[in-house]
Amino acid sequence: MSTSRNDILQGTLTLLVLKTLASNKRMHGYAITTHVQRVSADLLRVEEGSLYPALHRMEQQGWLRSEWGLTEKNREARFYSLTGLGRKQLALEEESWARFTEGVGRVLRYV
Amino acid sequence: MPWLRRLLNTFRPGRVQRDIDREISFHLAERADQLRSEGIGPEEANRRARLQFGNPVVQRERTWDVDIARAVDATMRNTRYAFRTLTRTPGFTVTVVLTLALGIGANTAVFSAIDTVLLRPLSFPDGDRLVELTQVREGSGETRIAPVRLQDWNRLNVTFDGIAGHYVDDIVDTRGELPERFRRAFVTRGFFDVLKVTPAIGRGFVASEHTVAQPIANIISDRRWRRLGADPLIVGRAVKMQYASIITIGVMPADFQFPASDVDMWSADDADAPWAQSRALTWLTGIGRLRQGVTLAQAETDLNRVQTYLASQYPDTDRDVRVRVTPLKDTVVGDSRASLWLLFGSVSVLLLIACTNIAALLLSRAANREQEISVRYSLGGSRRAVVAQLLTEAAVLATSGALVGFLLAVIASRAFRSLAPELPRVNEITVDGRILLYTIASTVIVALLCGLVPALRGARGVRPLRSSAHTSLSQRHLIQWLLVGVQVALSVTLLAGAGLLLRSVEALSRVDFGFDSSHVLTLHVSGTYGWETTDMHVQRINRVIDEVGALPGVESVAVTSTLPGVRDEQQLEFTLAEGRSDSAPRMFAETRVVSPAYFQTLRIPLLTGELCRRPADAGGKTGVITETLVNRRFADLYLPDREVIGLHLSGGLDGLVKNGHLFGNPPPSRIVGIVGDARETGADRAPAPTVYTCFSAPTPAPWHLVRTNGDPLAMAETVRRKIHELEPQRSVYDVAPLEGRMGDAYAQNRVRTWLLTLFALTALALVCAGVYGTLSYAVGLRRREVALRLALGALRRSVVHQLTTTSIRIVGTASAIGLVLALVFTQSLSTMLYGVTPTDPATLGGVMLLVVAVALIAAFIPAARATFVQPMRALREE
Repeated sequence: MSTSRNDILQGTLTLLVLKTLASNKRMHGYAITTHVQRVSADLLRVEEGSLYPALHRMEQQGWLRSEWGLTEKNREARFYSLTGLGRKQLALEEESWARFTEGVGRVLRYV
Repeated sequence: MPWLRRLLNTFRPGRVQRDIDREISFHLAERADQLRSEGIGPEEANRRARLQFGNPVVQRERTWDVDIARAVDATMRNTRYAFRTLTRTPGFTVTVVLTLALGIGANTAVFSAIDTVLLRPLSFPDGDRLVELTQVREGSGETRIAPVRLQDWNRLNVTFDGIAGHYVDDIVDTRGELPERFRRAFVTRGFFDVLKVTPAIGRGFVASEHTVAQPIANIISDRRWRRLGADPLIVGRAVKMQYASIITIGVMPADFQFPASDVDMWSADDADAPWAQSRALTWLTGIGRLRQGVTLAQAETDLNRVQTYLASQYPDTDRDVRVRVTPLKDTVVGDSRASLWLLFGSVSVLLLIACTNIAALLLSRAANREQEISVRYSLGGSRRAVVAQLLTEAAVLATSGALVGFLLAVIASRAFRSLAPELPRVNEITVDGRILLYTIASTVIVALLCGLVPALRGARGVRPLRSSAHTSLSQRHLIQWLLVGVQVALSVTLLAGAGLLLRSVEALSRVDFGFDSSHVLTLHVSGTYGWETTDMHVQRINRVIDEVGALPGVESVAVTSTLPGVRDEQQLEFTLAEGRSDSAPRMFAETRVVSPAYFQTLRIPLLTGELCRRPADAGGKTGVITETLVNRRFADLYLPDREVIGLHLSGGLDGLVKNGHLFGNPPPSRIVGIVGDARETGADRAPAPTVYTCFSAPTPAPWHLVRTNGDPLAMAETVRRKIHELEPQRSVYDVAPLEGRMGDAYAQNRVRTWLLTLFALTALALVCAGVYGTLSYAVGLRRREVALRLALGALRRSVVHQLTTTSIRIVGTASAIGLVLALVFTQSLSTMLYGVTPTDPATLGGVMLLVVAVALIAAFIPAARATFVQPMRALREE
């Protein structure tokens, strides 16, 4: 196992999933992990065990909808996509993330 | 709506699980593929994929938790688990469910009666605004109202929407094979408007129909209409009935039963008839509808203001008259109110005892499962989960009990009609949504009462896994004994009430009535006011008395205004023509108008003087009263130190002779003799001063009393045939032995007593089971200790003594507390008791002894049994 792995901060998983699905129409859980890993240039790794509870919770909240479909390799997979409510949630989370990083940045810059 | 989806998912666990599994295996497969593409062997790839994913079972459960409503799922699992554990002990479960079913069922049934009879308004529109009006006149028991006075009230008041009156009489239909008598109510103008009820077929009365000029208009009951063939075209048809042509103009709805359930016809009265113009002749019962927002007190003040005005206009007749306004519901409900609340209180106490009993049972059960609960804690079960699980068990028991109980209540509410037919509004009693809600509410309460203590206690027992239950008599015992104590105390209370009522019934059965009610047949021969003169009534009634009296097997025949031995009071004031001193008390007396043979027929002894004779035999005119008898009490109370025979009494008749007969005050009648005291108004009433006026036609259809040699019912047909031969146009009805009628008068009393006794004995049985169960359990825990002591040579007797000490102390204390509770409870019974005081030491002491004795036997058995254990076996069980 890679020791340089950067575990995703608690609570940001939702944001990452929402953002991922916002730029891709529909994805299954495995694709989401690989997408995050690739786009973050391996800086971020989704902890796979947390992913499915999170996806299901987000679906319960009405941010995502899911349907079963076939992959290119003809495997049955559950595909997730963003709902209108999810889009709004994404905007909220992005804003609060921006505030958070700015806050942390200011603290770090202060000497 | 996430919760809805979760709830849905909870009820299709298979599908949700399958989906999660599919999703996870897809993920693992993809990961393995990727690893293989990086050049790792297939087996190693699978292994790494699983490793990276983490424990799939845990992941699956975490995902699952997100997908379902956890509380509902837990409840369902608890319920399934409760069913499983309960079916493993069927004896326990069936006992508890049946106990609860009886408790909840009886409670619901009595509540359904309370709800219908007492809580719901009368089934008329705005029934809570309906009142009964009575007139009150000092010295007169008469509460009825003269028609003109009622009209005045209706005209002059400012608090009523309307006032009307009714008067119930008999009518005979002679068109059939045998004359058929039924009840008819004469009603004044506006009667149906006051009640806000209209006929189902046809129309109500119009003003012109309340006149002599018009033929009598009638509305018939649904029941009679159906008996006549349910002809929808009946309206407008005229038939000849009892010398007059009458017209049917309508049919009432089936549920209309006012003023009495046996009324089959309503007729428009004749407001302009000559006898309806007198202010002295009173026969109407008044009803009124209050205006919106008017209180009873306001209405009463208003009508008394009107009456004060009338008194100034008609001082002779209206001077002393006051008006009383009572809710119509009170009149309808009568004195069943106290009985119903008593039964409801008792049945609730019984349910409480049952709950306490079951709580104790569940407590021992929880103790037996200490091991299991400890295991759950050790595996990380939360206290909340354990409490929830134990409560669920109680809830499952309570719900099953309530289901059976509700069915029982449905059956019982039907049984009310045959069990207590004289209960007012008994036909309205149904089990509906309100009752179902009540059952559900009581189920929740029962579940909490039964389950909360055991659940909390059970969940507290966090103990090491090693079984340690028998090392100490824990605090749990205290609670269990406390529960037993509550049962004992409450059952002492119930038994005290039942005991006092039983003593009353027994005292009543030993009462010497002062007359002999055996071998007496009672009946009516129909007759009404209006078509015959008083002389004609007297002559025809005398003929029936003579002819029936001459039948073989009949000893004597008499008539009376009022049935003896049942509660029917006719208190009137009398004056002495010879005058009395001013300081002497006014002479109020029960009034009975009887034919001369009354005393012979009822075997009331003549003490001095002679029996009265028929007026014609006494040298007077047929229809004029001349002779009177008084009872000993009257003579002793009002005329001490006087030669009673030969004095003349006035008054007393105004209330009994109505409708155009015996106008004006009859002349004073001569007291010809003194008879023994008889309990004319019922077993529970000491003989009142009584005046017997000798007259054969107190009403057109008086009670006939026929003394027979043998079984009175065996003579019924002979007597009926004879009367039919004499009076082919009249109906003979209400034929029954006098003893039965006197018994019926106390039917409510008896039903109430037997029900309370049944409840009390059930409570005693529960207490017995409670003490037995608790002690068995406590002794069971001490098996080892008992065995050890026996092995060391202890006497059985002293071991038994030691084991039962706690129970004796608890039962003793609890029954003493119960006695105090009983003293409070029995105070509320005081009006229902006869011949025994609410604090009767014999009854209360007896009840206590009974409870203590029963409880001690229940305690002795398990204690004694424990000493017969084989010491070595008990010790080896460890």
